[in-house]
Amino acid sequence: MSSGLYLQMRGITKTYPENDVLANDEVDFEVRENEIHAVVGENGAGKTTLMKILYGLEQPDSGRILLKGEEVRIHSPLDANRLGIGMVHQHFRLIPEFTIAENVVLGIEPRRRGIFFDRERAVCGVEEVIRRYGFSIDPRLPVSRLTVGQMQLVEIIKILYREAELLILDEPTSVLTEQQIHKLFGTLENLRSIGKTVVIITHKLGEVKAISQRVTVMRKGEVVAVRDTAEVDERELSRLMVGKSVTFQFEREAVNKGRVVLELRDVVLRQKGQDRPLLDHVNLKVHAGEIVGVAGVSGNGLAELEDVVGGLRRVSQGRLLHDGRNITDLSAVQLRERGLAYVPADRLQRGSSLQSSVMENMIISSHHDFLQGGFFRRRAVEEFAETLSSSFSIDGDPRVPIGTLSGGNIQKVILARELASQSDFIIFSEPTWGLDIASAEFIYAKILEIRRRGIAVLLISSNLDEILALSDTLVVLYRGKVVASLSNERKLSKELVGEYMMGLRDDSRGAAAPSDNGPTETGPSESGPSPGEAS
Amino acid sequence: MKRPHRADALLTGALGLLITLGISFLIAVILIFLLSKQPLTTIYYFFVGPFTNRYYFGNMLNTAIPLVFTGLGIAVAFKSSVFNLGGEGQVYSGALVATVILLALPQSSGYLGGPAALAAALATGAVLAGMSGFFKMKWGTDELISSFLISSAVIFIVNYFITGPLDDPSNSMLATRAVDKQYHFLGIFPPSKLDISAIFAMLAGVLVFFLMYYTHWGYEMRMCGLNREFSRYGGINVSTYVVLPMIISGALHGLAGGIAIMGTYHMAVKEFSYGMGWNGIAVALIAKNNPLGVLPAAVFFAYLDAGAKAAMLHSDVTFEIAAIVQSVIFYLITAQAIYSFLRRRKRSRP
Repeated sequence: MSSGLYLQMRGITKTYPENDVLANDEVDFEVRENEIHAVVGENGAGKTTLMKILYGLEQPDSGRILLKGEEVRIHSPLDANRLGIGMVHQHFRLIPEFTIAENVVLGIEPRRRGIFFDRERAVCGVEEVIRRYGFSIDPRLPVSRLTVGQMQLVEIIKILYREAELLILDEPTSVLTEQQIHKLFGTLENLRSIGKTVVIITHKLGEVKAISQRVTVMRKGEVVAVRDTAEVDERELSRLMVGKSVTFQFEREAVNKGRVVLELRDVVLRQKGQDRPLLDHVNLKVHAGEIVGVAGVSGNGLAELEDVVGGLRRVSQGRLLHDGRNITDLSAVQLRERGLAYVPADRLQRGSSLQSSVMENMIISSHHDFLQGGFFRRRAVEEFAETLSSSFSIDGDPRVPIGTLSGGNIQKVILARELASQSDFIIFSEPTWGLDIASAEFIYAKILEIRRRGIAVLLISSNLDEILALSDTLVVLYRGKVVASLSNERKLSKELVGEYMMGLRDDSRGAAAPSDNGPTETGPSESGPSPGEAS
Repeated sequence: MKRPHRADALLTGALGLLITLGISFLIAVILIFLLSKQPLTTIYYFFVGPFTNRYYFGNMLNTAIPLVFTGLGIAVAFKSSVFNLGGEGQVYSGALVATVILLALPQSSGYLGGPAALAAALATGAVLAGMSGFFKMKWGTDELISSFLISSAVIFIVNYFITGPLDDPSNSMLATRAVDKQYHFLGIFPPSKLDISAIFAMLAGVLVFFLMYYTHWGYEMRMCGLNREFSRYGGINVSTYVVLPMIISGALHGLAGGIAIMGTYHMAVKEFSYGMGWNGIAVALIAKNNPLGVLPAAVFFAYLDAGAKAAMLHSDVTFEIAAIVQSVIFYLITAQAIYSFLRRRKRSRP
C-alpha cells in the first residue's frame, strides 16, 4: 500500500454565524493515497461540515487544502469534480423518472451537433464505466425501479463517470439492509484495490472496523484522534466519540412514578421503498411524573418516534395508548384535545410559523379559547401573550414576527405555549439543540419543574449528556429497535450508553417477551413503587 | 413606534410600489409620444380623462366593483396558499345562474328575487371552486390546474346556454333576455352606471378583512397559508383549509357575476365578464392580498381601463395602442407584486 498523502486539510475553521456554532475548529485532516478512511463522530461533531468544505459546498473561514502536496482552492462541487473529488450524499439526488444512464450523465451530457442529447453515447459511456468497475446493472433501467442499494450504486457510478479519484460517502449505510451494506463494502474494497481513495463518514463503529484502514474521530468540531483501524477497538472508539465530560449536574428528586400515561406497544413504522423498518417493534411506557429519555444517534428512529407520538405519522403496526385508551389512529388535533403537549425538534418549520407574530404563534393550539361569538377577543389574546412573555422572560414585543427573535427566544415561545396547555404528557425532541448554555439550562429547569407536577415526559435527544442528566428511565434506539432500557437511578456511565448507541451492545437480542420498556438492564422499571423511590 | 417591523415592511412596500408606478407611467408617456400624433391630448385623456366628468368617473368606479369581489376571492385563496385560477368560469357561471333565476321568477316575487339570485350565483361559484378544493383534499390533485380546467370547460357550457336555449332572438346580440326592471340595482351617480353595489363592494372588503383577521377561520386559514406543517402540529385540521378557502374564493367570484348582472348588464351577454377573473388576480397581487388593499387596487385597475377608453374616444389612439400602454403599466405593477409575493412564498416553503 502506498502511504503517500493524497489529501491534507490544514487548520480548517468554520463557523455558522446564524446560530453561532463553531462547526470546525482548527481541524487537521489527512487521507493517504489508496486507503479507505473513516470519519466518525456524534451528530454535530463537524464531520459533514468538513466534507462539505472538501467538496466545495461550504467555504472555510480559514485553513488550507492540499491535494497531492499542491494547494488547491475548491469553490464549488464543479471545482471538486475537476480535481477528481466526488461525493455521495446521504440523501440521493436522483430523478426517479430518468434512466440510470440519464441520471449518471446529468449535467455533462454527451451531445450531438452541440445541442441534441446523445442517448446512445450516454448509454455506451455508462456501460463502459459499469464494465470497467465490474458492476452489473442495466443503464437503461429507470431509477424508480431500483432498490435503495442500487440507487446508491448509481450515485457511485455517477462520480466514477466523472473520473473521481477520491470518493466521499456521507453515511452511506444508514438506509441499507445488512446484505446491501455487505455489497457496498465489497464495491468500496474493489475500488480501493484499483487505486481509488475513499472517505466514509459514519456513526457505526462496526463498519469502521469492517472497511477502513484508518479512522479519524471528531468531537465538537475538533479532531480528537487519528488511528490505524487495526490498532483500535470499538470500545475505545466509542469512548473517544462520546468523550467523558458530563457538563450538566442536576439534583433530581426521587422519581414519584404514578400511573402509566403513555404506552407504545409493539410499534412498527415502515416506509415505502425502505427495506428496513424505521421503528422496529418498539415498546415503551411513560409514567406520570417520570422522564423517559430516548437516546440514539440520528437516523436510528428518534425523529420517527417523535412523529409517531406527536400524531403526525401513522404507525404501520402496533398500538399507542394514553391512560389505557387506544390513541393509535387519532389525529394531531385529537391528541391535543386529549392532553398532548409537544416541543418538536424542528422548531423553525414545525414548531413555529416564522412570519406570524409571536402572539399568533402562542395561540396555535389554544386559539379556540379566545373566541367570543366566532371573533377573537383581542385583549384576551394580548394579555395571554404578555403573561407568557413575562413568565418565560421572552424579549420583545409579542406583535413582531417570531422569525425576528433569536433561536433561544423562539424555543422559549414554543416551550411557553406547550407548557401553558393543560397536558398530562409532553414530548420534548432535541429541546436544546443549537442553543446557548443559558437557554439550555432554563429549559432543563422547566423540564424538571413539570416532572414535579406529575406530568409524563418523553425526552427524545441525541445529546447524551442531557439524557443522562434528566431522565429517570433511559431507552436507547439503534436502527429503529429498543436495544436498552435502563433505570437511571444510579449513575449510568456515558460509556455504557454510548456502546448501546453505537450498536456494540444490544439487550434485545435473544430477550424473551419484553417485560416493560422492552429489555431491561439495571433493575426493572415496573409500574408501582420502584426501588429508587425511597432514596 | 409600536410596530416597528410591520411599519417598516409597509413603508418599503409602498415605496417600491410608488417607484414602479413612476417608472411605468414614464414608459407609458414615452410610448404615447412614439405612437400618437397628438401625444399631449392623448396623455391628458389617458391620465386625467377619467376625472373630467361624472359619467367617466362613475363608470370607472363601476368597473372596479366586480374586480373588488374577484380580487377579494383571490386574496382569500392566496392568503391560505391555495390557488384559484378558475375565476373566469366562476364569475361567468354565477352571472348566468343569477340571470336564469331572475328571468324565471314571477313578476310578483318582489324583494326576494334579488337576494335569491345573488345567493344562487354565490353558491355556483362556491361549488365550482369547492370541487377543486375537495379533489385536492381527497386525491391530492393540484387545485391550480383543476380549477383552471373546470373553469375553462364551464365557460363553454355557459356559452352554449347563452347562445342556444337562452338566446333572445329579438335581440341582435348573443345574449339572454333582459331581466325585469325591478331587479336592477339603484343607480347612485347618474348619468353613470354606478349603482348601490359599490356599497356592497366596500362592505365585502371590510367583511373579508374581519373574516381573515378577527375570526378563528381567518386565523386558521392564514396559519395554514403560512406554514401547513406548523398548523397540523398545532392541532388545526389542515385538510379543511384546502377546501374552505376555495369555497369562499369561488363564492366571491360567483357573487361578482351576479352583481354585474343586477347592477350593470341586466342580461347575460356572451363573454361579457371576460377578464374579470384574471384581473382579480392582478388586483389581489397589487393589494398584496390585503382585503382592505383590494379596494384601492381595484379602483386603480379600473382607472387604467377608463383612461385608455377616454384616450381612444378623444384622441387618435386606437384600441390596440391604448391596450399596449395600459398593459405596460399593468405588467410592471404586477411583476413587482408577483416578485415580492414569490419571495415571500419561497421563504415560507423552503
